Amino acid sequence: MDVQGLQMTEIKTVPGLFKRNPPIAGEAEAIEAAKNGDAEAFSKLYALHKRRVYTLCLRMLGNVSEAEDMTQDAFLHLFRKIGSFRGESAFSTWLHRLTVNLVLMHLRKKGLNLVSLEETINPSEEDAPKRDFGSRDLNLTGSVDRVALERAVASLPPGYRMVFVLHDVEGFEHNEIATMLECSTGNSKSQLHKARLKLRDLLRQPEPPTTQTTGLKETAV
Amino acid sequence: MTTNSDFPDFDTMSPADFEHYLPEFFANGDGHVSTDPRLQTFLKNNPDCAALVRDLETIAEHAKSLFDPVEPSDTVWSNIQSKLKQQPADDDRR
Repeated sequence: MDVQGLQMTEIKTVPGLFKRNPPIAGEAEAIEAAKNGDAEAFSKLYALHKRRVYTLCLRMLGNVSEAEDMTQDAFLHLFRKIGSFRGESAFSTWLHRLTVNLVLMHLRKKGLNLVSLEETINPSEEDAPKRDFGSRDLNLTGSVDRVALERAVASLPPGYRMVFVLHDVEGFEHNEIATMLECSTGNSKSQLHKARLKLRDLLRQPEPPTTQTTGLKETAV
Repeated sequence: MTTNSDFPDFDTMSPADFEHYLPEFFANGDGHVSTDPRLQTFLKNNPDCAALVRDLETIAEHAKSLFDPVEPSDTVWSNIQSKLKQQPADDDRR
């Protein structure tokens, strides 16, 4: 079989997942009410954003238990900090940044090599993608399915995974990622490129003898 | 925003140049390097580079459909409610 390039078995787009949330009816009112301590309004904000926050945590952490804990922390933090939301960006973007920052703090507390964000997004040499750009052995036999790609993303070094998830999965622009991760725009572009190269490497490797059915079991260490 | 003058000549650049600038090409080309008219001659003359671009575009395209949004368990909200009862609003709230 002479297949050059990656082939996916299925493209399943999920409307509204890639793009950030558009303004939601009633959200602005709920935000203002929540600022004044309205518990019901806060409950509405939770209902509106729980899936996005939880899914983001799950993507970044790759672990259900940790993702639920971080979701809880994110909304408790939201409750405490919602008074500082001035509407200069979309609420969903603001909440996203809040969540990303909490996840980063969580990762640091876990003792990962995340002393600085520049280090965060610079994995060790052994994690770096192979630089076989000029080779002609790009042939991939068989196809790569969505589960394989999810598994490959889950196995990325945390820094690569973070930039890849924020840009390619979440749809943030490089300047937004640079702001969130406190790095340069060029660094974000570079790390995204390396993440994609690493994924390409991973997808070209033969399947391990024992395969898992989900890519979200890996712990972010 | 990177302009054309920041790049080498598109038709005569080496594969190494292409590799160096590829992150910028992706960032500036709306994520579609393979259809960038400035790069058509180069990609036609460098099939390995074209294959690499196709692979990376495939990965980026399929990333959009990864990880269907999922609901947290009900215990998350229960825990939040429980903690909110324990901790009143702080100074950040109006």
